[in-house]
Amino acid sequence: MRGIEISLNQTQKIRLQRALKQLESLYLRANFNASVTVADTIPVSNEDTILKGHGTSERDGEVVATLCGVVERVNKLVYVRTLRARYKPEIGDIIVGRVVEVAQKRWKLEINFSQDAVLMLSSMNLPDGIQRRRTALDELNMRSIFEENDVVCGEVRNFQNDGGIQLQARSQKYGKLEKGQLLTIPPYLVKRQKHHFHHLEHYGVDLILGCNGFIWVGELVEARDCIEEDQLNNTEQQFTKSNTTKEMPLETRRSICQIANAIRVLSILGFNVTLEVILETIDLSRTLNLGIDEMLGPEFHVLVAEREAERRTSMTKRKG
Amino acid sequence: MASVKRKSIESQQEDHPLPPPQKQLREDNSNNNSRSSKIIGHGEAVACLHDVSYPGNYVPPFSSITQTQKDSKPAKEFPFTLDPFQSEAISCLDSGQSVMVSAHTSAGKTVVALYAIAMSLKNQQRVVYTSPIKALSNQKFREFKEEFSDVGLMTGDVTIDPNASCLVMTTEIWRSMQYKGSETTREVAWIIFDEVHYMRDRERGVVWEESILMAPKNARFVFLSATVPNAKEFADWVAKVHQQPCHIVYTDYRPTPLQHYIFPSGGEGLYLVVDEKAKFREDSFQKAVNALVPKVEGEKKRENGKWQKGLNVSRLGEESDIFKMVKMIIRRQYDPVILFSFSKRECEFLAMQMAKMDLNQDDEKANIETIFWSAMDMLSDDDKKLPQVSNMLPLLKRGIGVHHSGLLPILKEVIEILFQEGLIKCLFATETFSIGLNMPAKTVVFTNVRKFDGDKFRWLSSGEYIQMSGRAGRRGIDDRGVCILMVDEKLEPSTAKMMLKGSADSLNSAFHLSYNMLLNQMRCEDGDLENLLRNSFFQFQADRALPDLEKQAKVLEEERNSMVIEEEENLKNYYDLIQQYKSLKKDVRDIVYSPKHCLSYLQSGRLVCIQCTESDDKSPSFLIEDLVTWGVIVNFDRVKGVSDVDVDDAIRKPENANYTVDVLTRCVVTKDGVAKKKIKVVPLTEHGEPLIVSIPIDQINILSSARLYMSKDLLPLEVRENTLKQVSEFLSRKPSGLPMDPEGDMNIQSSSYKKAVRRIEALEHLFEKHEIAKSPLIKEKLKVLHTKQELTARIKLIRKSMRSSTALAFKDELKARKRVLRRLGYITSDDVVELKGKVACEISSADELTLTELMFNGVLKDIKVEEMVSLLSCFVWQEKLQDAAKPREELDLLFTQLQDTARRVAKIQLECKVQIDVENFVSSFRPDIMEAVYAWAKGSKFYEIMEITKVFEGSLIRAIRRLEEVLQQLIEAAKSIGETELEAKFEEAVSKIKRDIVFAASLYL
Repeated sequence: MRGIEISLNQTQKIRLQRALKQLESLYLRANFNASVTVADTIPVSNEDTILKGHGTSERDGEVVATLCGVVERVNKLVYVRTLRARYKPEIGDIIVGRVVEVAQKRWKLEINFSQDAVLMLSSMNLPDGIQRRRTALDELNMRSIFEENDVVCGEVRNFQNDGGIQLQARSQKYGKLEKGQLLTIPPYLVKRQKHHFHHLEHYGVDLILGCNGFIWVGELVEARDCIEEDQLNNTEQQFTKSNTTKEMPLETRRSICQIANAIRVLSILGFNVTLEVILETIDLSRTLNLGIDEMLGPEFHVLVAEREAERRTSMTKRKG
Repeated sequence: MASVKRKSIESQQEDHPLPPPQKQLREDNSNNNSRSSKIIGHGEAVACLHDVSYPGNYVPPFSSITQTQKDSKPAKEFPFTLDPFQSEAISCLDSGQSVMVSAHTSAGKTVVALYAIAMSLKNQQRVVYTSPIKALSNQKFREFKEEFSDVGLMTGDVTIDPNASCLVMTTEIWRSMQYKGSETTREVAWIIFDEVHYMRDRERGVVWEESILMAPKNARFVFLSATVPNAKEFADWVAKVHQQPCHIVYTDYRPTPLQHYIFPSGGEGLYLVVDEKAKFREDSFQKAVNALVPKVEGEKKRENGKWQKGLNVSRLGEESDIFKMVKMIIRRQYDPVILFSFSKRECEFLAMQMAKMDLNQDDEKANIETIFWSAMDMLSDDDKKLPQVSNMLPLLKRGIGVHHSGLLPILKEVIEILFQEGLIKCLFATETFSIGLNMPAKTVVFTNVRKFDGDKFRWLSSGEYIQMSGRAGRRGIDDRGVCILMVDEKLEPSTAKMMLKGSADSLNSAFHLSYNMLLNQMRCEDGDLENLLRNSFFQFQADRALPDLEKQAKVLEEERNSMVIEEEENLKNYYDLIQQYKSLKKDVRDIVYSPKHCLSYLQSGRLVCIQCTESDDKSPSFLIEDLVTWGVIVNFDRVKGVSDVDVDDAIRKPENANYTVDVLTRCVVTKDGVAKKKIKVVPLTEHGEPLIVSIPIDQINILSSARLYMSKDLLPLEVRENTLKQVSEFLSRKPSGLPMDPEGDMNIQSSSYKKAVRRIEALEHLFEKHEIAKSPLIKEKLKVLHTKQELTARIKLIRKSMRSSTALAFKDELKARKRVLRRLGYITSDDVVELKGKVACEISSADELTLTELMFNGVLKDIKVEEMVSLLSCFVWQEKLQDAAKPREELDLLFTQLQDTARRVAKIQLECKVQIDVENFVSSFRPDIMEAVYAWAKGSKFYEIMEITKVFEGSLIRAIRRLEEVLQQLIEAAKSIGETELEAKFEEAVSKIKRDIVFAASLYL
């Protein structure tokens, strides 16, 4: 229950504790003895050569952990997987960030990492979709694409020599995010998956689960992949601009808040945030006929925890 | 998909079948038509075919009209008049649309590429030029650099100015740039794929498909290809997957017409077979074939059907064919000449035969020497002493060159330069010389008409012939090019026609899956493997074939249904009985007249009953009795199979060998064409000559127990005639021919024999009961039924192939391969790429699974750097060496480890139902150059390592260069798992092997 700060009454507290304990017991069975803290020795057999991966180092002939976490072994490779840590980017990750600086030919983005990420002007598709070299004029007009404090989504492209990362926006679906909420949750709650972009047409909502713990919930935007539309001339561009300033329907706003609150609940409880769990949580709130504000109340937290405990128990049972 | 067809020769009145972008195109049409017809007015038939593929429901953009008007001034002007196909293609570029240019090598496709580059540079757009071969990229880089200054080069070996607007690279590099999301992909407006027909390459072709599929949505393409008959299909595909119109400009036109000659081996002169108007001359072809000097019998035996007739070492005092040929070419001033042969060794061997010839003047010699040594200047003194270098110069000075992939790259380039300068008059080259940069000669000679393709010597395909003969004739210098085919065996006119005048090979997809591709696609959010497969050219071609198959099946079905047979059920029953009866008879015959049983009875003089040759191959007889005849055995002989080399062994087991029996019988000889005689065995009573024919033993029907006395000498016709008369007399007395009793006389006691005989008896009984057998037209009816049965079988086959192509191609394989990746822990059950998968993602120049496993098993970690390099060499060496020495023990141990890993990987693949031959896979890793690479990493000189192995210098250099590529990929891989020590080790390995002659810069840079 450490770290969970919600005001609960006595029964709620007991119920929550029970649910969490149940979850814990499931987890303990999986791997307990493999967890290490900094400077713990990682046992390895001396006959074999091993490959020392992330979070390990060699001291006096022994392999020592340099991070807190769980020891993972892949064949001869030994590395430490952290449980609670800052975001550590990997190539191909989908992340959401906030522009902090517009610099020469690049934007700098806060992405919850030790360094700001860089998004080069040339790693972006131009708004008019034309394939060409970037000119000085483009550079001057960079603010028309992203300004400071804009929320942007991108993909980790590669590491720079100083350990910083470069982002890229592969297609039109990457880029500026407008009209929605940005949530910040601990990055370890977002697991890497096949898809991080989710278009919830049913709710009229776009959901982007950034690997860095930044989560975007916003209005559904039609993916603009049609070439003809990209080659639009000025009149059309103005048309789309006016389009973006259009009022968002109330229903969509409610959906956005609902999803955002579901994610908040999950992150407070420390559960992994996946699309599946989010949708289940929303369904739960809908069947209970809860208002959006009530979702953040203590009772709902407890209910979600109990449900998750139940779900996971049944899952392990099915497996076992 | 709508299409607008427009033939330049045809007039403007042609009806256009509803082109979507009407206005603009029609305008365009009339323009071009008038232009091309003008050229035709000059009397030169330089036709080109222009066609456009539109994607489904394509709406023309309004802007394009304004664009064409705006760009009224051409981006580049050429100092010469453009050929129609060139201006046609350029007009497509001007309107900003993709184009596929399909023309002969010499036709001048580069003009189109140059224009596309000029246009992009003008519009401040990036342009990428990809070619299949590094050497070609180097050459093109130089060519473009001279033309435009803003040019960069990226191959696996070198990177020059990667920020330039025009980037020349290999297709593999371009693919990996796209996977990595390089900045270039967002700035490139035009992508030029040169030699795009490489797409049919079995191993690398898939790279083109991936590159085209992944290309940015708004980019435009220029495809340059050799002539392919299905260019339209390719363009349709591009139009479909990229949703943009794609033009096709196709031309068969050669700037210099070709004359094809045949040089019969051993003969004296040339015979013109196809003239410059592409007319095949039967008469002179016949003369050429007849002039072929047949080989001496003894020599033929010695060679034992081997192919290397071209290598015929000149007998004492006599000049070899190749020498005669070159002499004649020089005398007739047909030089410079390129002589193509199909192996590196043969190439060198033929050049050696020219030792006596000197084709150069003194001043030319001096020139060659300066060029040669100034090129060799960059080599160290030790490397200058390499035998290949020092042996080459004297040859070059005499105007003779050799060009194949086994040469040192630098030597190859010097030779190319000397050839372009006209200092080499006679160049012996392999097929690789026929692609790439324009290096024409007046004459091209094919030293062989057969080529070894991995398992057999086959005729040259017409596509290969076209590609190579494309080197003949220098534009603007020669008024015609000369192709000479050295023929050393009888050639059917049809074969020759097929080769000389056949159409080009069509462009077929060689798509296949690789783990690296799977992982790279899975790693990226947008990656959709199913989509990739659905959009592949392979799938496109399969889908396209579907309606055709459907039609075929329909036609056949109609045909089948139109055949009405009375009492079909009954007849079918009877038909089945006959089939059964026949197969049983055959079984019995196979047992009785197997060599084991009957060899001892095949004495000369024994009467024998044999089957007549079927009069018509198509419809086998349906009578219960076969058409048979009688003859007399003269002799029998064992057929020398290819396999039984060991004679002793074969003698011990006579029953396993094949035998033929020489039988004297009556035959009809028909002459078919010129070369081939057809001999037909006919019944004794019919007309025909008494001849001795060889028949396989299983054609014997009955052996008689009677033997005739035979004259020893059967040469005179009368003797043979008399013998046959005796046979007839005997038969008139004993119509049954006194057959030998298998059980009694021949002592056959096998149970299967008895069973078969009993069943035949039972069947014969059934025949008698069958009423339909008495029907008068039974023979014809059976024939009809037979055709009907055959039709049914064919329909079944077509339906089957239709079913397999409607399903998504490779779907099962994709599943299987994903299973493998899951089993090995590269991806999770949700297709998320795991750590191991990320490592394998980086490795594209070697077998990704085996290498990743090797790395994760720590094998690379605990060995020395040199050993590691040596081990990795097994991944890049593919040539097979016959008698390579085994590497020393510690290296061999490592190699065994590699083999174990490979075997494990292969077995898992097999278990996951990926089709793979485990042992084949394991033996694809070759230890042949381990020692040499070990020594190289240790710091040996190149001439020292050349003494260790017996491989060609060029091959070794290529392998080491590729090794460096693999190491660079491994560095990235080590980075991604955070193993810094290993990373440092790979870096060290790179620095150890990257030196001296192996990484000497190309002369073109």
